[in-house]
Amino acid sequence: MALNRRHLLSLMAAGSGAAALPGLALANQPVDPVYAAFEAASREDPWTLGFTDAPSEGFDGVARRLHGRLPRGLAGVLHRNGPARFSRNEWRYRHWFDGDGMVHAWRLTPGRDVSHTARFVGTRKWQNEEAAGRFLVPTFGSNPPGSIGLRGPDDMNAANTSVMMLNGELMALWEGGSAWRLDPETLESRGSRDFHESLRGVPFSAHPKIDPDGTVWNFGQAASHDLLVLYQIGADGALRRAEMVDDIPGGMIHDFAVTDRSLVFLIGNLAFQRMQMPFLDSFGWDDSRGMRVVAIDKADWSRRRTWDMPPGFLFHVGGAWEDADGTIHVDAALSDDAEIATGHARDVMLGTPQLEHQSISRMRLITLHPDGRAEQSVFSDVCAEFPQVDPRYTGLARRFTWHVGWPDGHMRGATQLVQRDLVSGATQRFDFGTDIVVEEPLFIPNGDRAEEGEGWLVHTALNKRERATELHVFNARHIEDGPVTSWRLPYACPLGFHGCWRGV
Amino acid sequence: MTSMMTAALMTALLSLGADSDASLTVTVEGLQTPEGAVMMALYADEASWNGGDAVEGRRVVVQGLTATVEFASLPAGDYAIRMFHDVDGDGELDTNLMGIPSEPFAFSNNARGNFGPASWADAVFTVSPGGNAHALDLQ
Repeated sequence: MALNRRHLLSLMAAGSGAAALPGLALANQPVDPVYAAFEAASREDPWTLGFTDAPSEGFDGVARRLHGRLPRGLAGVLHRNGPARFSRNEWRYRHWFDGDGMVHAWRLTPGRDVSHTARFVGTRKWQNEEAAGRFLVPTFGSNPPGSIGLRGPDDMNAANTSVMMLNGELMALWEGGSAWRLDPETLESRGSRDFHESLRGVPFSAHPKIDPDGTVWNFGQAASHDLLVLYQIGADGALRRAEMVDDIPGGMIHDFAVTDRSLVFLIGNLAFQRMQMPFLDSFGWDDSRGMRVVAIDKADWSRRRTWDMPPGFLFHVGGAWEDADGTIHVDAALSDDAEIATGHARDVMLGTPQLEHQSISRMRLITLHPDGRAEQSVFSDVCAEFPQVDPRYTGLARRFTWHVGWPDGHMRGATQLVQRDLVSGATQRFDFGTDIVVEEPLFIPNGDRAEEGEGWLVHTALNKRERATELHVFNARHIEDGPVTSWRLPYACPLGFHGCWRGV
Repeated sequence: MTSMMTAALMTALLSLGADSDASLTVTVEGLQTPEGAVMMALYADEASWNGGDAVEGRRVVVQGLTATVEFASLPAGDYAIRMFHDVDGDGELDTNLMGIPSEPFAFSNNARGNFGPASWADAVFTVSPGGNAHALDLQ
């Protein structure tokens, strides 16, 4: 067959196109169906921008002001973290939580434009796989082809879940291994944060809690052995105490709450069953028992109280406080199943969310009585996630919870910012509509002496219509009025999970 | 005739094996620090690998970023190696609070397990009559 000019052109086009793809697949390698499915979905659905690979070099940009001004007093850096690299060598992860962590710095300076930089966390995993041009190790929810085994949890540390500032140092947090140290200015990685020789490589979860006096509490879980490691760390970053607690049932624990006296764990029914790779496959739904709540005495870790609740699942708690008689109040975004983790977070990698993998999550206020009774009441009328409190009220009786919300059946992320007054029962909300995917809001008080809830809510969002990531600032007293100022980057970033505020 | 010679040769080779006329030199690369010792154990079958005794053990003081461990006289056959770098020289594989090793370790074939030791099937290699070399990398 003679090649005509048209054939030749199309061949050349194919050749140059293929050469431009990084990590070109070998000719005889079968097409990865997940990679192909996402490529197809991303041509149709701009929501997939939230799960598209970020460039290896990161982002550097200046946001364009859409309206309003940054409030005086709101000067600082919003750091955020989330999975941002999902495929290599034309093979795509199977689970959202597998992606390598990217840490962002949104710099807010009143009177100036909002700037944005983001860098991948330089974990050993990231460095080795970046050099190899393919994934090398199993992750939370995926077994990449030809992956080698693990010598310890940090071999698969994706550092992709949250960030915190500790004594001037920024740390990227995951929940299966070490915290990862970063320079807060350059976002350059400095290696694992070892709080003690005996804690090297021990899990340090992504939701540490900070008491009003600066004391940091955290845990790490080994669900396979029904145990937790508890951490108490001073405001100076020095370890005060770490010990193993070995009788905590191995339901997946992502977050916890503190009161002034207790560490409170809500243990859902996605339970460890037997070790399998990928690690997520070790877990299965087990509602042969209820959801277990364990409160550990901050002063004496051998003293604990337990409660049973109906089966359920959660990622995040809002906050907790404790009455003089020992009654504990805690709010959390609870669902009756774990479809969000075992179904939806996999659909996301295909780029096609399925209604059957919806978890109906609701904010619930739980009361844990000293006599062992546990009561709960639902207080959100929409699906809820990322509950937040005024950080100065961590562990204390408080009035407000903020969270993101979306209507049941909407499978493409949060559309609303919601405020709940736990005392009056009043709800305020702002609904962005379905073009916007609202990410986690943080409450930033207007100065140290401001009363609870007097300040701003700052959050990022993916604008699907504009194919761009935005930053919005609300006056927390007037959420229904909409953002007081909004800014838009000239690009879209993958959706993130959690952030922290570093005031300057 | 040829087959008779082959058979004779085979017999000779097998008896060489039985007479412990094989040797093994294991090089360890990727040591992070020139201190402590390399601790190495050699296993000859799967049952021993999974909780029994090693047939040979060696402790070699680390003086650089590579180390060499010699097994001078072994029966030819299948073996697998467990080794760790005893950085602090206390003779034990240090672990963190959760029991995860905090000193570098490796298995023969540079095999890796997942949250546990490599399997015998992944770590096994053959020692033939005469000299043998095996390389481990702690990186």
